[in-house]
Amino acid sequence: MDLELSQEQKLIQSTAREFAQAELEPVAARLDQGGDQAAFLDNLKKLAGLGFMGLNVRDEYGGAQAGMVAFSLAITEIARACASTAVTVSVNNLVCSVIQSVGTEIQKKTYIPKICSGEFFAGSFALTEPGAGSDPASMTTSAVLHGNEWVLNGTKRFITSAPYAGVFIVWAVTDKAAPKGKGISCFLVPAGTPGLVVGRAEQKMGQHAAATNEVILEQCHISQDAILGTLNGGLRVAVGELLGGRIGIGSLALGVGLAAMDYATRYARDRVQFNQEITRFQAIQWMIADAYTELEAARLLLMQAAFREERGKAFAREAAMAKLFATEAANRACYSALQMAGGYGYSKEFPLERYARDVRVTSIYEGTSEIQRTIIAREILKEISQG
Amino acid sequence: MKILVCVKQVPDMESRFKVNSEGVWYDEKDLAFKLNEYDEFALEQAVRVKEQLGNTVDITVLSIGPDRVVEAIKKGLAMGGDRGIHIKDDHPWQKDPWQIASVIAAFARDKNFDLVFTGLQSQDRGSAQVGGILAELLGFACATTLVAFELNGDLVTVRQELDGGMCAILKFKLPAVVTCQMGLNTPRYPTLPNIMKARQKELLAFPVTNFIGPKNLAATERMYLPEKKGHGLVLEGDVNEVADRLVGVLKEKTTVLR
Repeated sequence: MDLELSQEQKLIQSTAREFAQAELEPVAARLDQGGDQAAFLDNLKKLAGLGFMGLNVRDEYGGAQAGMVAFSLAITEIARACASTAVTVSVNNLVCSVIQSVGTEIQKKTYIPKICSGEFFAGSFALTEPGAGSDPASMTTSAVLHGNEWVLNGTKRFITSAPYAGVFIVWAVTDKAAPKGKGISCFLVPAGTPGLVVGRAEQKMGQHAAATNEVILEQCHISQDAILGTLNGGLRVAVGELLGGRIGIGSLALGVGLAAMDYATRYARDRVQFNQEITRFQAIQWMIADAYTELEAARLLLMQAAFREERGKAFAREAAMAKLFATEAANRACYSALQMAGGYGYSKEFPLERYARDVRVTSIYEGTSEIQRTIIAREILKEISQG
Repeated sequence: MKILVCVKQVPDMESRFKVNSEGVWYDEKDLAFKLNEYDEFALEQAVRVKEQLGNTVDITVLSIGPDRVVEAIKKGLAMGGDRGIHIKDDHPWQKDPWQIASVIAAFARDKNFDLVFTGLQSQDRGSAQVGGILAELLGFACATTLVAFELNGDLVTVRQELDGGMCAILKFKLPAVVTCQMGLNTPRYPTLPNIMKARQKELLAFPVTNFIGPKNLAATERMYLPEKKGHGLVLEGDVNEVADRLVGVLKEKTTVLR
């Protein structure tokens, strides 16, 4: 057994860390306050130039072929500086990964290099609907074949990067009569296609710099060959690809949790009350000990899930455990960090309230904690009933 | 054209240092290591020469040290180096700058390098001697502390930083050794695809004993952390009063005011 990262993984980690500290951290608070989308997009372009948008993409499509462990490390480092940037990078990687795994050669060559190079700021993953969140099979967006064109109608919700995405992966019902979940297909819709309208921006609690919008499909005509993967096989694609996405979001949460605890611990070391540094109080020591222990456990769960994926082993259970634990541990860590800094923690003068807001959604998006628990229990029960 | 870039791996300077049990160097255990910052400027400049002249330029990245220094060499390869040389030495700190330069010279002597880039100094030992001694051993021209570099044919023009805010322009012909100062350039980040592709580049390892020559000229007698001096003086209170007290202190204890 060897828990040491490879030299390439260490170099990717340190490159991500150095870039994040130099370019992302200085602007993160300003981007959170809104209003400087240009700076945010500029950073995305720089990250693309360094290869962060296609970590698992093959060389021929402009990717780094660096593997899932490197992906996890990179997202954690980016999130330590800016969660909004990290989620955008994670989703871009997810979109590349979907196209690479089920796309035709033409689709791969058309879209993946554009996301990897930064020609597209982003790609969007349009699965969720107003009435279909944890239960995506209940979606109502429809795709009907008219001659040699698909016509899409419906509304998608909470779509990351929609205003600046170059392409959307859109899931829609292609066979209403099929059993639930068996009649959904997946489509590639380029931005600017008539009938695809980027709707209102969500007013969110955190991760303000990353746009989250409604996407409305109104008589949206796309060519017959815009279907991604097999007809009526779309939901399986979403479920399969979200496994990797979960490692991304867990890694993001870990980064925010670490940033919060690192900040709060340094603060506590300098903060004097009752004539002593507050780190001399056991109450503070336990917060530090608990949070770092949980974050370390989260890191190991994430590494295990990523490692299994790289080895071609089943990792659904491990990815769900890692996402569940990492996002909830990070939420607790941010809560403790804010508490450690007292009134300053609650003030916008410190970054802790931003971390606490940014981290909250990690146990919600790309599969809520409740859904992760369902998956974990199902996987365990499956194993036991087989035994 | 053949370029050699000599790089060193040094601890993260934000680490907490402890003196080792022999009392002559820092304890390397538990330290995180990275590429010496000045050597990044050297690497960047070498890659820029390659970009200027094209693929006829071949860049060798060399480092002396234990296995961990391979990471520093790989960063150099990912930034644009063509091949790596790892001279294996588990205790490079036991060699003084003269001996380190001698090892590099023994390796480089028959390789026909035209240009050697290295950092002005290492961030840990900070002797700033290796580049100069290496030039002397190889019989190359030498310029140190560069903040600008230009190559035309075999003529090198550089700007050298001097004390007191002065600079000097130097011109000399290849072959040459140059040492790089902060401000020379902004080192690029290695791209992820290049980090992965660097695995395919040649990286040869040799034991340092292959190149060992003369003995140390200087030995470290003792290493220690400076003793803690008294705390600074913090003046608090009413601004006018504080200003008066400050003037008093400056008059009494310094030569700033008389």
